[in-house]
Amino acid sequence: MEHTEVAKPETLDDLIKMLHEIFKSDNINVEEVQTLMESYESKPQEWKKFAIFDQYRYTRNLVDEGNGKFNLIILCWGEGHGSSIHDHTDSHCFMKMLQGQLKETQFEWPKSQGDMVQKSQRILLENKVAYINDSIGLHRVENASHTEGAVSLHLYSPPFQTCQTFDQRTGHKNTVQMTFWKGPYLGS
Amino acid sequence: MEIHEAAAGPGDGVLDFSHLNLNTLSVDSIREERKRDTKQLYLNHNRLASLPSSICFFSNLELLDISNNGLTAICEDIVGLRKLKTLIAKNNRLDEFSLPKEFGSMQLEVLNFSGNRFEEIPLQFVKLQRLQSLSLGGNRLKSIPAEIENLTSLELLYLGGNLITAIPPELANLPYLSYLVLCDNRIQSVPPQLTRLHSLRSLSLHNNLLTYLPREILSLVHLQELSLRGNPLVVRFVKEMTYDPPSLLELAGRTIKSRNIPYYPCDLPAHLLHYLDLASKCPNPKCAGVYFDSCVRHIKFVDFCGKYRLPLMHYLCSPECTSPCSSNPQSDAESEDESSVPADRLQRVLLG
Repeated sequence: MEHTEVAKPETLDDLIKMLHEIFKSDNINVEEVQTLMESYESKPQEWKKFAIFDQYRYTRNLVDEGNGKFNLIILCWGEGHGSSIHDHTDSHCFMKMLQGQLKETQFEWPKSQGDMVQKSQRILLENKVAYINDSIGLHRVENASHTEGAVSLHLYSPPFQTCQTFDQRTGHKNTVQMTFWKGPYLGS
Repeated sequence: MEIHEAAAGPGDGVLDFSHLNLNTLSVDSIREERKRDTKQLYLNHNRLASLPSSICFFSNLELLDISNNGLTAICEDIVGLRKLKTLIAKNNRLDEFSLPKEFGSMQLEVLNFSGNRFEEIPLQFVKLQRLQSLSLGGNRLKSIPAEIENLTSLELLYLGGNLITAIPPELANLPYLSYLVLCDNRIQSVPPQLTRLHSLRSLSLHNNLLTYLPREILSLVHLQELSLRGNPLVVRFVKEMTYDPPSLLELAGRTIKSRNIPYYPCDLPAHLLHYLDLASKCPNPKCAGVYFDSCVRHIKFVDFCGKYRLPLMHYLCSPECTSPCSSNPQSDAESEDESSVPADRLQRVLLG
């Protein structure tokens, strides 16, 4: 696979166009997508209309359906909001920080009953992109800040509507439906 | 640095002077009319060491954001802003001594003092009768005052990231509380009175020191989100039960109550009548037993929507009194039919 020079997306629309191009092919170069997403410098004016915060939990806001090849979603995390430990239903998952910071804790797939084994933990800083898929493991994502909200841009390919959540203390799993915030998204 | 109106954008009641590296604020150059029309004033992300007294000239102000400055105190003049509903003062150097004396008389509905240095929730806060939302995340609070119950309009209470060790039962007296955040503290137990929070929709308790929960938590009918991760919750069945043998008084009282032996005020001295009135019924629904002071603490596991097993604290009348379905008391993680919560009751349990 030759390494192609990727032009820098100046706007969110540029990024979306370039992602459509990349995903025309069925073979995904993870590094290429990660570099592309990382090179877009977050400009709140461009995504503000998708940044709907909910008092009680994090929200998922669909930005682009990627011609069925991928879903591009903006997640808004209030202070203290976090996800369960979850998998990604055999899909690629890219996560870019648009504003604030998120803590990602990775876990091994549970092999037996008992406490799940933590693999790693990191803080994702603004504009950085994290990648995960089921062969790497599972993760929990949370906004550990008590003062700031956080906004992240997620790309899932292929798109998926259900995933499994895991109980950290026992490894028990549950299939859950993923939902989007119901629009409309106003403004430009 | 003088502020010019032009810096703030179109006149729509919003004056945005945020992120301008301001050391001081002089609003003299702003027309009186503009000041009066301003409903929202953003002064966040500057270097203000203090709030100027001229703030009171923004007489119709409804929202003021002074977050991310170097404020150590808030001037008395803020109390003059009679229409101020929202005050955001995150990430400053404020503490319980920073507030003006009459702060409690303001008409505030939303207060956010997260990321400051409060060690106590000041009494001026609990006087704010109209307060709907109070955020004090990321401070140094050691406790929650019982006077919190005075905030009868409170719907949101964010106290995550402090040093709180206990929850006062008076918190349960807030009838509209729907979002309660107590994560990242040092809480060891949850008072059973919290079951009275009928409006509670979301309860965040992750990263504390809880080993069990009171069984009353199952009565929180509207609870949709509950986070419990990062607590040393008891996973294994607790075999050892602490039990002080009952006194003769207790045994006599139990016999009278459980056998329905009739008694009348003329039969007994007043203190014994009072004692008999204190009988508690054993919570085991299949048991007709009663107890007075002597009861067994028992950690019971309840299947919470099939997702995980919650250790709940029960009081039983005797060690022999166990749940009817525990055919094997040695087994790990029993389940209790009578208390199992239907799946639709708890939609998102973030223990996992």
